[in-house]
Amino acid sequence: MASKGKTATLLGLRHLTLMVIAFIMLVPFYWVIKTAITNENIYAYPPRLLPQNPHLFNFVDVWYLIPFPRYLLNSIIVSTIAVIGNVVFNAMAGYALTRQFAGRNMVLALFLSCMLIPFQATIIPAYLITAKLGLLNTYVGLALPMLSTIVCIFVFKAAFEAVPRSLIDAARLDGLSEWRIILRVLMPLSKPAIATNVILTFIWSWNNFLWPLLITRDPLMQTLPLGLARFLSYMEDTTGALYAFAVMVLAPSILVFLMAQKEFIRGLTSGATKG
Amino acid sequence: MNHWWTSRWFIVPALMLVSVLGWLGYVSQHDNGLIEGRVIDAGGQPVPGATIRIFDRGFVTYQERGRTQADAQGRFRITDNKSHSVQLEAETEALGRSERYELRLWFAAQDAQLPEPLRFKAKP
Repeated sequence: MASKGKTATLLGLRHLTLMVIAFIMLVPFYWVIKTAITNENIYAYPPRLLPQNPHLFNFVDVWYLIPFPRYLLNSIIVSTIAVIGNVVFNAMAGYALTRQFAGRNMVLALFLSCMLIPFQATIIPAYLITAKLGLLNTYVGLALPMLSTIVCIFVFKAAFEAVPRSLIDAARLDGLSEWRIILRVLMPLSKPAIATNVILTFIWSWNNFLWPLLITRDPLMQTLPLGLARFLSYMEDTTGALYAFAVMVLAPSILVFLMAQKEFIRGLTSGATKG
Repeated sequence: MNHWWTSRWFIVPALMLVSVLGWLGYVSQHDNGLIEGRVIDAGGQPVPGATIRIFDRGFVTYQERGRTQADAQGRFRITDNKSHSVQLEAETEALGRSERYELRLWFAAQDAQLPEPLRFKAKP
């Protein structure tokens, strides 16, 4: 009995600790939302914990004071292109890496070493290639560097390796081509990997600032992070409208994450327990 | 068996689409740019003939974009508002200017009635 009581107490303490940590991590989100629905200055002292006279008009201001719908549309189009490209190209690359071929280990080593190079270091050649292709100031150009990412290739590789070899051999015996094996056998069994690809790519593409800043010429081709920077330059006084803008930029990626979080976590850990 | 229409990947976007379409339908019925209100003096009496000026919100300032006149009962009607956030001010030679009233709307050109009249501080 005493042991059971001790276990319950430990469990309670663990939950309490987790709740406190979760609360601390949520405080910045609360503060952003609180500022978005009021016009409080965030540097006001003493700070108010609860919002005074909350309203939603800051969101209306954001919608009309800048071309927000256009930025939103641009971000949605670019993120959609990036997500589709990632799922297609990464699945192909991930499948190739599960096969045996000469120089496979070298390719793997090359991929891993390329992950160490920051994007800022390769941004000039990336810009020049995009310019040569005539894709500056276009949606495809905006999505181009995000069309395939090495981390996501490894997510697919781990997911495909977890599929029993015998299943792929049976599909091959049934006459399926390599493309159809990916499409009909591996992809339906790799939903967590697809969800991981979708979430990571969507968030990276949605929050991307530097690349759109470099390659867009027309203000109407700008995406939401650029719009946020532009808005910040006008609304320097840290008003609620600025925070309302931040909430409106954040909301879609949080929604996508919440919708796919179960598969996302499974996708990230699918390779961890194999073998 | 799970059907595709019970998936959250269908339900959430579908609910969002329905909400957006409903909202757009409501907006299309109420975006005629009408603003109606009254002007009164410090004693609560209507002020006929007062000039009402409307100011649109820009990024940092409000700019005048139109005028109208109050009728014999002190009522006025603006028919061409295009903004989502305006300020209204009444003016007569005898009473001077009223305080500006800020009217924030849920969408551009929303039809609205001032919840309280424009009030002059001075008595006639």
